[in-house]
Amino acid sequence: MAAEICGGSLFLSVKTQQQQQRLFHHSQQRFNSSKPRFSFHSSNSSTFHRRGSSSVFCRVASTDTLSDFDSTARDGQDRLSKVPISNIRNFSIIAHIDHGKSTLADKLLQVTGTVPQREMKEQFLDNMDLERERGITIKLQAARMRYVFENKPYCLNLIDTPGHVDFSYEVSRSLAACEGALLVVDASQGVEAQTLANVYLALDNNLEIIPVLNKIDLPGAEPDRVIKEIEEVIGLDCSNAILCSAKEGIGIMDILNAIVARIPPPPDTSKRPLRALIFDSYYDPYRGVIVYFRVVDGTIKKGDRVFFMASGKVGYLSASIRTVADARVGDTITHHFRKADNSLPGYEEATPMVFCGLFPVDADQFAELRDALEKLQLNDAALKFEPETSSAMGFGFRCGFLGLLHMEIVQERLEREYNLSLITTAPSVVYKVNCVNGDTVECSNPSLLPEPGRRKSIEEPVVKIEMLTPKDYIGPLMELAQERRGQFKEMKFITEIRASLTYELPLAEMVGDFFDQLKSRSKGYASMEYTVIGYRESDLTKLDIQINGECVEPLATIVHRDKAYSVGRALTLKLKELIPRQMFKIPIQACLGAKVIASESLSAIRKDVLAKCYGGDITRKKKLLKKQAEGKKRMKSIGKVDVPQEAFMAVLKLEKEVI
Amino acid sequence: MLLRLCFANQTDTDIDKKKQVSVSLHLSLQTQSAPLSTTVTCCTMLKSTFTPMYWFLAPKPKPQKLSSNLIKNTFSNSTPNVRQNSSLKQNPIINPTSAYIHLPFCRKRCHYCDFTIVALGSASTQTHDDPRVINYVQWLCREINATKMEEKPAPLQTVFFGGGTPSLVPPSMVSNVLETLKMKFGLSESAEISMEMDPGTFDYKKMQEMMLLGVNRVSLGVQAFQEKLLKSCGRAHGLEEVHEAIDIVKKCGVENWSIDLIASLPHQTSEMWEESLRLTIEAQPTHVSVYDLQIEQGTKFGKLYVPGEFPLPSETQSADFYKMASKILCDANYNHYEISSYCKNGYECKHNYTYWKNNPFYAFGLGSTSLIGGLRFSRPKKMNEYTKFVQNLENGLINSSSDNNINSKDTATDVVMLSLRTARGLDLKRFQESFGSSLVLSLLELYKPYVESGHVVFLDEQRRTIRIDDTDNSLLYETNSERRVAYMRLSDPNGFLLSNELISLAFGVIDSWKDYPSALQEAT
Repeated sequence: MAAEICGGSLFLSVKTQQQQQRLFHHSQQRFNSSKPRFSFHSSNSSTFHRRGSSSVFCRVASTDTLSDFDSTARDGQDRLSKVPISNIRNFSIIAHIDHGKSTLADKLLQVTGTVPQREMKEQFLDNMDLERERGITIKLQAARMRYVFENKPYCLNLIDTPGHVDFSYEVSRSLAACEGALLVVDASQGVEAQTLANVYLALDNNLEIIPVLNKIDLPGAEPDRVIKEIEEVIGLDCSNAILCSAKEGIGIMDILNAIVARIPPPPDTSKRPLRALIFDSYYDPYRGVIVYFRVVDGTIKKGDRVFFMASGKVGYLSASIRTVADARVGDTITHHFRKADNSLPGYEEATPMVFCGLFPVDADQFAELRDALEKLQLNDAALKFEPETSSAMGFGFRCGFLGLLHMEIVQERLEREYNLSLITTAPSVVYKVNCVNGDTVECSNPSLLPEPGRRKSIEEPVVKIEMLTPKDYIGPLMELAQERRGQFKEMKFITEIRASLTYELPLAEMVGDFFDQLKSRSKGYASMEYTVIGYRESDLTKLDIQINGECVEPLATIVHRDKAYSVGRALTLKLKELIPRQMFKIPIQACLGAKVIASESLSAIRKDVLAKCYGGDITRKKKLLKKQAEGKKRMKSIGKVDVPQEAFMAVLKLEKEVI
Repeated sequence: MLLRLCFANQTDTDIDKKKQVSVSLHLSLQTQSAPLSTTVTCCTMLKSTFTPMYWFLAPKPKPQKLSSNLIKNTFSNSTPNVRQNSSLKQNPIINPTSAYIHLPFCRKRCHYCDFTIVALGSASTQTHDDPRVINYVQWLCREINATKMEEKPAPLQTVFFGGGTPSLVPPSMVSNVLETLKMKFGLSESAEISMEMDPGTFDYKKMQEMMLLGVNRVSLGVQAFQEKLLKSCGRAHGLEEVHEAIDIVKKCGVENWSIDLIASLPHQTSEMWEESLRLTIEAQPTHVSVYDLQIEQGTKFGKLYVPGEFPLPSETQSADFYKMASKILCDANYNHYEISSYCKNGYECKHNYTYWKNNPFYAFGLGSTSLIGGLRFSRPKKMNEYTKFVQNLENGLINSSSDNNINSKDTATDVVMLSLRTARGLDLKRFQESFGSSLVLSLLELYKPYVESGHVVFLDEQRRTIRIDDTDNSLLYETNSERRVAYMRLSDPNGFLLSNELISLAFGVIDSWKDYPSALQEAT
């Protein structure tokens, strides 16, 4: 039972005091079962898999030939014995979004028999409903596989990572826990912006990179061209690149063999005091805090008393991490009695780039919203929030996100998993306001922007954006960047037909539909990647919106002065479209200070009456009115006007062509 | 006249006791000498007989006919309140004194109609030997007989034959139904017995026979005075039959009769609408119902037209039609006493008021809905399911009433929804007794802005309009009775026109009303 985990192993543990008894019971009972559910007893059966209810099987060391999947898979279902450190491989899969990371991860799990055939489903590791629905990976996922190569059992630890820009933070964390990475490139699409970004991250971490060309079964696949592209653009030797099709199962064994042969094992440091780096943790309502960590030095086994170096908390690995805050990502775990001298370098904290207000539609849900945000944060260190009050919206939170997708996902998870109904205000970036008195104020909420008289200048965050595109779309993309106040920096052809465009542009211009526009103007062929490069002074001003003569704070936006008029006009028009007609006429105005720059008016409803003969059967009529009342509930009353949720996001929905 | 007689009967004998009881509703009701089986029934009886007292105590001298003021007071009665309901858990069902009878037969289905009807074919004006009608009336009578009730039911005060086209049914069969009702529940001498009648389905003789049976109120389905419109909405009769029918009703001397019109028909112009209203007034009915065309899914109109789009009038036009009706009919001395109903003084439809007061009522026949013991029960809309239902009822397998505790939120929504349809509006005193003051205050707060915008009217005890000049929270506790809000109603026509919006606002308030158990305690 006291499985010893060696340095270099990845693994997860389970805790909470309340669960201790039950856990023990389960461990006893399930020790010989091949369905490990709780981590510690599963440590020597050695696959981890998070949050999934499906059980996970492991491949045992066996002498079978590896030639066919079936026998490999059969072996995978046997139990596993410990492997020496030299037989451990830690690796990630990195790729541009949609190049097939998760499909490849699925195939690896399947081929190694980690997941039995009958339990296999697509995107096995993406177990959030949202991930499955959208076909994207949001959270990094880890899995342990057993693989026999040249009659020796190996333990392969895989971390699947998200591909979207917003989640590059997750990628960097998982890379730091590995010695190698599979670089997956779509054999027809070639190198994309995210491919580059992720490769550079991997190189920064000194990882061994194995280039894999995926989707070679597609008619449009041009592996030779793409290999050339990788060599030219990234400068990576592709002489031993693997051609595969994760979907068709081509080249999977080659990949497994390459992992074993080419990725170095973790250094043997088992004699040193324990140092384990936490790279992810989450809270499971039934099992308590579950920690993913990488043992860098030393060994750890069940029952060890451990010490969290940053938080200073002490716990038993099988039992008692009380809250996720005690097991912060980036912290180092060490032995209580044999402490390491210094902790491992952790991770840079994720800085939220996009902010918005989240308000419960029903004021009574404020406490629930707070609890829900706290729980999500346990799982998502990049999410930041602080309370905010607004005269129009009541109590809510100002929340910070890595990007728009992150924001959308958090909002959707709050609504879905915590059954809240929320109003989201338009996203904003963090401005730095230089005041007349010399102070610098950070402001992420347009309604809190200091008065014009008090401010000397406003600085806004600027990003460097790199777009990779087939040369046909250079024109449209340059146009797009210009419209968004972009400053052209560089253009180079990475191959004969593909170019890279570099611009510097305000982050505020990118928040919103920039990515959608990029995709639509390039017919889906262009990709992008950005990094924040700093702050720059800009001629910005606050645009207020008045509905029925009342200033609606959550609708206020900070815009460049040159764009104020067009944004104002477009916004009032959009609001007129989004706000349902009410019982009286409503003026909708956009103002710069006291000056009205655009105005629309919403005509009153003339008639809404059921003057029909209903007899005694009022049920239908009642249902109708109830539905109507329900509809109103989804709206926020601003003075006398019911404003639907979408209106608060109106600024995002402006058609940029209009502006 | 009829009304007055009926009330006088009750009030003469009960006036003293009611005086006592009115001091405190929940004091020992056993002192009532009326033959009541339990305290609770007593309470109920009290409710239903409570009405006239106001009238009786009214200081004004009684004219021969009821004044409009009197009518208002007449209806100041009583929605059965929750306090009763909640204390009624194991109590017997309150017996209704109104009955709706559904006679579903029509010659053909009109293009706008989504009611439960049975189309007999355009040629069927004589139905005395139609087995479908004969059988149905038999089932109907069996249903009436199988209905469970108290040992001593209160005699019916109103009976309403609705449809369908009840006037298609031969008088002999109507007689059967009325006899069955009389045997089962008793029928007050002065009961209002209404019948919906369509032009072209009855002659002088039939009308007279119906009257002899006791039918004393006719609701004439004219719908429009333009041949073209009648045709386009699929009516089985033309304009000639309309004039004939009006003549017959008048010649037979039906005192209390209504013309029913539909506004916003396809191709209807404001000239046509004005003409219809003028011809209606010239016919001098005591009552006019103005319904609004509702485009329902599954009807022919539903397939052909989109509301607000040609040939249907636009929303603005349709609103103008509504305002026109209100203006023209009120100028001709009709009271706009409910969203779609107008009447000469004293000619409110008593049966419909049962609905609007949320008072209980029986219902018999295909697809009809009853309200007994707080439960709305709808009968099957298909004939074979209906007959099965009647059989089950006879075998005691089904009970169409409820003695369960009724959700007070539900009752509150019903009361608000129904009473705001009437000109009398919501009686806040009663509403407060039933649901507590917190809800009343929320409603006052809710509607204050709409008083300012002219959609809602607050009235004092004497039904004088209260002006709201400032945001004053003491509207309910104001010691000065002129400043205390006793009623709230929707204004005519602007409030009525937006009644869905306004009522659904109240629904929102009731829905988020959380402290109702404590409010109820406070009330009791």
